[in-house]
Amino acid sequence: MISDIIIGVGMLLVLIGTLGILRFPDIYSRLQASGVSDNAGLSLVLIGLIVRGGIQSDDIALFFLLLLLLVTNPIVTHSIAKSAFIQKHRAGDRQ
Amino acid sequence: MSTVEALLILSVVAVLWRLARGPTAWDRILAYNSASNRIFVLLATISVLTQREGYLNVTIVYAALSFLGVIILARFAERGGGNR
Repeated sequence: MISDIIIGVGMLLVLIGTLGILRFPDIYSRLQASGVSDNAGLSLVLIGLIVRGGIQSDDIALFFLLLLLLVTNPIVTHSIAKSAFIQKHRAGDRQ
Repeated sequence: MSTVEALLILSVVAVLWRLARGPTAWDRILAYNSASNRIFVLLATISVLTQREGYLNVTIVYAALSFLGVIILARFAERGGGNR
């Protein structure tokens, strides 16, 4: 019950992020859509899976996966934004 | 709960469209990162729903390797390989 609500909210955020990646006009806007709503939505889906399974032995693996997602996704977003900024790709360039 | 898997597959296909279409190289890197994130959450969902604990180890290794690949691609585009 509670896990269904958490997974539903997470999937809504993931679908909003997918729509943002598809429809936003610029690389920085797409990075913002990906970095904010994907991180929150996929983390909520993983938290919902942890809540659904109960206390089992695979909760450690799911928690480690959640920790890995929360650590690596901001690093990736920052690295792509820094790479695009160093290569003189400014905001508003509709390519 | 198979609705979650269907929606995740749908969003993976939608993000892969951005990977095929993307105007610059950074769009493709971003789409690859988003697609691999969705794919490992989909693997974790399948693992929990079908009670197969072995899939979770595969998922952790896949997440770590995709993070390494995205960082390497972003650093490569930073040095000037991103014009293609």
